[in-house]
Amino acid sequence: MRLLYDFKALFDRYGVGVGSFVAVVISLWVFILILLPQIAMIDMSFGHNLPPAERGGPNDVYTLSNYAYFLFGNDGGFNTLHLTIMAKTVIASVVVTVFDLILCYPIAYVLAHGAKPQAARLMIIGLIVPYWVNEVLRAFAFRILFGSTGLVNGVGLALGLWSDPIDFIREDVALYAGLTYAYILLMIFPIYNAIEALDRNQIEAARDMGASWWRIHWRVVIPMAKPGIASGSTMVFMLTTGSLAAPQILGGPSNLWFTQLVYQWFNEASNWARGSAYAVILVAVCILFTFLMMRVFKVSIGEIGR
Amino acid sequence: MTSTAFNRLGTIAFCLLFFGFLFGPLIIMVVTAFNSSSFPRILPWDCFTTDWFGKLANDAKLLHGLGNSLIIGAGVVALATPVGLAGALALSEVGPRLRGILYTVFISPILMPGIVIGISTLLFWGRIGSGLGFGFDSIFFDGFFLTILGQVCFISAYSMLVFMARLQRFDHTLTEAALDMGATPAQAFTKILLPFLRPAIFSSAVLAFLASLENYNTTVFSIVAESTFTTELASKVRLGIDPSISAVAVVIIATTLIGAIVHEAYQRRAQALAQGGAAAQAILANPAAAFIRHPATVGALLLALAGIAVYYGKGHDSKACEQSILDAKLLEQQRLQDEMRARTQQQQQQAPAPAAPAGSAAPSTPFGGVFAPGGLGGAPAPAPAAPKPAPAPATPFGGVFAPDGLSGGKPAQ
Repeated sequence: MRLLYDFKALFDRYGVGVGSFVAVVISLWVFILILLPQIAMIDMSFGHNLPPAERGGPNDVYTLSNYAYFLFGNDGGFNTLHLTIMAKTVIASVVVTVFDLILCYPIAYVLAHGAKPQAARLMIIGLIVPYWVNEVLRAFAFRILFGSTGLVNGVGLALGLWSDPIDFIREDVALYAGLTYAYILLMIFPIYNAIEALDRNQIEAARDMGASWWRIHWRVVIPMAKPGIASGSTMVFMLTTGSLAAPQILGGPSNLWFTQLVYQWFNEASNWARGSAYAVILVAVCILFTFLMMRVFKVSIGEIGR
Repeated sequence: MTSTAFNRLGTIAFCLLFFGFLFGPLIIMVVTAFNSSSFPRILPWDCFTTDWFGKLANDAKLLHGLGNSLIIGAGVVALATPVGLAGALALSEVGPRLRGILYTVFISPILMPGIVIGISTLLFWGRIGSGLGFGFDSIFFDGFFLTILGQVCFISAYSMLVFMARLQRFDHTLTEAALDMGATPAQAFTKILLPFLRPAIFSSAVLAFLASLENYNTTVFSIVAESTFTTELASKVRLGIDPSISAVAVVIIATTLIGAIVHEAYQRRAQALAQGGAAAQAILANPAAAFIRHPATVGALLLALAGIAVYYGKGHDSKACEQSILDAKLLEQQRLQDEMRARTQQQQQQAPAPAAPAGSAAPSTPFGGVFAPGGLGGAPAPAPAAPKPAPAPATPFGGVFAPDGLSGGKPAQ
């Protein structure tokens, strides 16, 4: 009832018609589109992979076997293959997040305090336009760039930096570059929003007192940017772990991303129950890892997503 | 002083590198679309060609996918915009405690891996469908239905963010004034708030459409047996790379740039007009300037440019150049083969020399020396079974092709 009471202001301000429209639409969104499908997936992940005829029959009971498979495989030992893929996905996502942070923090600072308004405006357009290009095409661009006859190899060979074409795809260089590229925007704008609120006088004051430029950043700008860095990093990390197109196109043949495992359970092995379990594991690991990092860096949840 | 100059230089260099990273791959991809090499690359450059666009225009699967994407995009825009608006309105009015919870729930689909949304939508509606006794041909297993719902789930959150940003600048006293003057709350909403939100409705619709068009992670699961533009593109990329994919990028980037420039023209004009004073006067007083700076003019101009490019691109024929490249390649191959032949022959002549009768030119390879230069031409000459008179033709055709081989017989008659 308190919940309904909270909505009273809405009805008061916009009337019964708009108020009930809002209430109905957001209930549909939250329950039908967000929560119930997730529950259906979690439910599925605890079931056996049964042919349609046996559903609802005596064999249709809850089981932990799909999760057990992720940990132990079929033969009781640890399922090292899948556990390694999970660990690799998380570590690679952390690396991508750090790359993005290093690339984006200076740009966000320049946007907020360094550049003249006209230049800043142009920079923002320049940032956004590449993101209107399809995700698949962006990955494809990196494939061209890093292919064995690609430009990077061509230039490297011509300059004599290395003597045989390097297989950047197999070495995952292309994948890291492509993923870093894919989520730049999600890192820049939260940091930009946070830094923009900083009073320029604080920077001037620090400079007048003789602080060196890195000290100004470390003691003045970064503390201000912290919520932005936290929410940017969270978004980049979550979306990197959950990405599918870039690993499919840029990933080496022997290195799988965890999402590709889920994809395989669904589309190649047709084991939807196990695929659901793997999807649940993916979400759980992402969320747990994010919370852990927030603990480590002492960020509260309320600071994220502003 | 020098240190600030140094800092400035460093900053500029970093920005240049950064934007190089941002645009470099796209520019290279665009350039590869015009290279006739069948693998998309810049170096070595073969021929300028527009054939990849022709190949693209005839790609029935991709065009079918594009058609599906447009339908899905329209559905997503129609649903996600009102949902996003409702979300933003709810957040602007509820108490702070509920606001936090609601905000987390609304934002969660953005952070959720796309494949999880696709999978859960697929499973949920499949379960409802089979629970109600519908078959696989019912709407609950329909790729369009599932994809629209799956995409609306998270695209609504984007729309909501757009509306929230606009709502923050709304002056609530306007609504209160309308209410005081006797308007009903519904009237105040449709006459005051909605017009204020119109730009946000427009940008959220564009954003929703683009997000729907380019989505892969969710769609690849929820589309079931159908296909969209992006899933077709992805399967094309995964199956085999060719420059017609770069040609897709050219089309998309060109469209994007035209859109961005027209939008920028519109923004600048609107800003100048809103500012008033000299800036607005420059537009209003001078009809020519007003015409040139109007976004519609800019758009028409860019479209005309694109049309001209397409027209001349269609007319461009790179056959001759490609043929010459092919010839050059064949020639090069020929040369390499000859070189190799000469080398192997040399080796063979050196290596088996002790075994073969010294001094004899007898070919020691199983092919009887046909690969040796002059091997074929030379073979008939020492043929022992040719005890013919002197003018015996040396070729197997008996000299009929000799200039006077046939006519030479006539005088004998």
